[in-house]
Amino acid sequence: MKLIGATLSASIVLAPVLALGVATASCASDVSHPGTFSTNWLDDQGKSIGEVQARLKNAPAGAKADLVVAVAGPKNDKLIGLPLSGGANWTFQHALDARPIIAGGVVVGSGNGEIFALEASSGRRLWARPSGGVALLGAGDDGTITAVTLSRGTGSTILVVGRDGSVKRQIETDKAVGDPAVVAGVILVPWSNQYVSAIDAATGDELGRVTLRDKVSRADQIGGAVYFGEVSYVRFDDKIRMASQGGANRVGIPARELPGTPRLFVPGTEKLPAVANARDRDRLFARPSAPEGPLGIDSSRFYATYFRLVLGFEATRGQLAWVHTHASDLIGGEAVQGGVLLCDEDGKIVVLDAKTGQVSFNGSFGEPIKSCVAHADTYKALPGPGGAAPLALQISEAVLNREASLATAQRLLLRELGTLEDESATKTLVDIASDPRAAPVLVTDARAAIATRRNGAAYMVTALGRHYDFLRDVLASPPVGPIADALAAMNEAKGAPLLASHLLDPADNDDDIRRAAGALATLATKDELPTLRHFFAMYRATAESEEVGLAVASVGQAILRLDPKDGRVLVDHAAKDATTVPIARTRLEALLTASPDKPAAATASAVDAGAPDAAPKK
Amino acid sequence: MLRMRLFPSRSARTSRSSILASTLASTLAIGALALVLLSSQAFAQKPADKPADKKDRKSTGAAAGAPAAIDVKPIVAKLKSGDEGQIKDALDEARLAGPGGAAAAPVVAEILTRGMSLPLTQSAIETLGDLESETGSAALAQYAVHRNAKVRRAAVKSLTRTKGAAAATAMKRALSDGDAVVRGTAASGLGAMKARDAVPELFVALDHRVNEAAVSIGQLCNVEQCELLAAKLGKVPFDVVTGGLDQVLFRPAADVNDDAKVKIVGRIREQGTLEGNKFLKDVQKRIVPAGFSPRVRQAIDQAVMATAGGK
Repeated sequence: MKLIGATLSASIVLAPVLALGVATASCASDVSHPGTFSTNWLDDQGKSIGEVQARLKNAPAGAKADLVVAVAGPKNDKLIGLPLSGGANWTFQHALDARPIIAGGVVVGSGNGEIFALEASSGRRLWARPSGGVALLGAGDDGTITAVTLSRGTGSTILVVGRDGSVKRQIETDKAVGDPAVVAGVILVPWSNQYVSAIDAATGDELGRVTLRDKVSRADQIGGAVYFGEVSYVRFDDKIRMASQGGANRVGIPARELPGTPRLFVPGTEKLPAVANARDRDRLFARPSAPEGPLGIDSSRFYATYFRLVLGFEATRGQLAWVHTHASDLIGGEAVQGGVLLCDEDGKIVVLDAKTGQVSFNGSFGEPIKSCVAHADTYKALPGPGGAAPLALQISEAVLNREASLATAQRLLLRELGTLEDESATKTLVDIASDPRAAPVLVTDARAAIATRRNGAAYMVTALGRHYDFLRDVLASPPVGPIADALAAMNEAKGAPLLASHLLDPADNDDDIRRAAGALATLATKDELPTLRHFFAMYRATAESEEVGLAVASVGQAILRLDPKDGRVLVDHAAKDATTVPIARTRLEALLTASPDKPAAATASAVDAGAPDAAPKK
Repeated sequence: MLRMRLFPSRSARTSRSSILASTLASTLAIGALALVLLSSQAFAQKPADKPADKKDRKSTGAAAGAPAAIDVKPIVAKLKSGDEGQIKDALDEARLAGPGGAAAAPVVAEILTRGMSLPLTQSAIETLGDLESETGSAALAQYAVHRNAKVRRAAVKSLTRTKGAAAATAMKRALSDGDAVVRGTAASGLGAMKARDAVPELFVALDHRVNEAAVSIGQLCNVEQCELLAAKLGKVPFDVVTGGLDQVLFRPAADVNDDAKVKIVGRIREQGTLEGNKFLKDVQKRIVPAGFSPRVRQAIDQAVMATAGGK
């Protein structure tokens, strides 16, 4: 079906501001092909895109790039290229109004009213064209021509430029186009978040189109294959014809809780600022596994960055595999074969081994940077040196980092830590919950996690040995309540003397006292009886909160268990004494009713008439 | 009944009056009420207690000037009644009796140890302090860790008056309390009860801005420790340090020798400040020539002149 009316020509929509070489998108002349960017196109069930794919299948590979490019300089007007395949860094001075783009063998940038291209390997300027200040969105390159997409606010322009800087074609459309790829003279350009059109750069004709079931705004060449997507990768291979029925080769990353709201890709329709922003510190990285065969995620790992933290996840189920804590904020990078490459704001580059998260490569731009982009077609990360710390310790390092901006990720990591059966996880949780400088939310989370731990009792008992001590600068009590819960659940009597000592620590909060007393109801031994009696006597009539009143009742329960004779007299008198706080009295009465043994007559007679209780017999 | 303020001011900057009050407290510890009326100069010159003094007092029950012991049987009976009203009355009567009712202290301590309502607990704690009997110290020490800060403050305050090993231990621990008033009271109390072994702890407290520790250090320090206190000039607020140094300058030569005192005066002089001059002039005024070392006095006089045009 010929849809002439829907085909756009440069003469209709050319923005006057765009003073570029004039070219025209020709009208579609083949009824089997859609009109360029026409919206009344009917899905051809993959026929046209299949033909394009078949045509390009054996096309010569374009230029490949293994390069990291950074924006630097006090005025953000310096590009530094760092070739990953070796060779010296290069620099190029130019005003920048957008993040540079690595496309095949070129680096495309924009600023100061022009678009320019540099040779990726050397930083040599290839060409520059006036842009009229429109926003650079994306670029693709096949080694011969470069297709650049530009946003004009209400529409887009695709500019096709030869190596010599001559404009081969300029296509205007009112559609929002994304980041293109170019293969053997065919521009694969995503648009309207659902289509990828194959446009013949020589004629401007749309050779084919595919409708994707995933949101799509990017077409990227990675390691010899082209992928479409934004939230996942759809490979441009012989199954692309089945994309509209959901049959294309597609891979994404599993949904799971992540720190912040990281994105795998920035939408290709968004202009990226030259300087990294908050979104660049909160990213996802994943690389499709191979240009052929079953499609998966390289090394079965995807990665999330959050300021200075890097989290490596198992790619199918999303389990946390490792955590790397970096020295400074990470502001860009790229998943590479066998790992992930990242740049920090100090101008350092680090490559982490996918399997272990260990550093396998360190590089540097030689100065602080403002942003970075990377592309790795063939570069492969080396394995880490081995001997990686256990995950619990990696998490500990990340969680104990005092950088306030990490709190969100640290909370997530704390939850991960709580699921690990490693005793060192318990230690970390206790350390955080005891740290007066830790963020309150982390302390709350750590306390909740400690209560559910069923290992690491030795760490808990050690922690209970600490008390608030103003002169020794111990300004926070340990998490007594959660530890008490855990020790009671583990029936760990070793903690009883220390739990008892906390009953008499006024720095512990009321909830901790309640829980410590609750644990002592089952854990206390006769050795703790003096402390229990001290607490019972001191608070049965002076408890000022419900928690402490309940603690009195729990301690009464412990006393009854440990000293059925004299203890019963003590508890009985407290239960009958009107000065005993009501909540404790009620509980104590219930305890006495539940264990109806009568107090020994001899002991009872020893009690002063009307006295609140009797001193223990020794 | 005589109600005396035994503790120096808890204000961050120890005032001169608080220093005097603190010094008074230490003197009152031996029960010589008449000394309250003595001038500060004479008081400052008074030699430190001798162990024999306490022993004598305990053995006789009433040294010269100490109140006569009263019959506490009616008070004890009420205390053992188990009736809140009667206990309250008994505690009031015991407080009115003061140290003369010390024989009731074991029973007050006993009912306190058994536990009472909060108002009675407070009252019993204060009563034990008024009875000034060491037999109350163990019970008071238990309440020095109560969750209610007011109870802890009262307990530590009373411990200062009941004294003894249990009191000293509890007060040293109270230096680390989370409540600033408890810490300050404990610091002052340790000085008042002559707990010389607490001086290292008091220095730690002073470093943690427990300013009351300075006066106590000044009351208790040996020569080396007194010099350490003087070395705090310029690091700790001037008024805080001189609160302690004032104590040192008026201590007897047997306690702190003239060399040490002259060194302290020299340190203040080296500051060359107006506040140093003001402090030295204040000391100068309070010196009673008889019994005060002429050498130290001369050093003070010269320092006053030297710092007259201070910054």
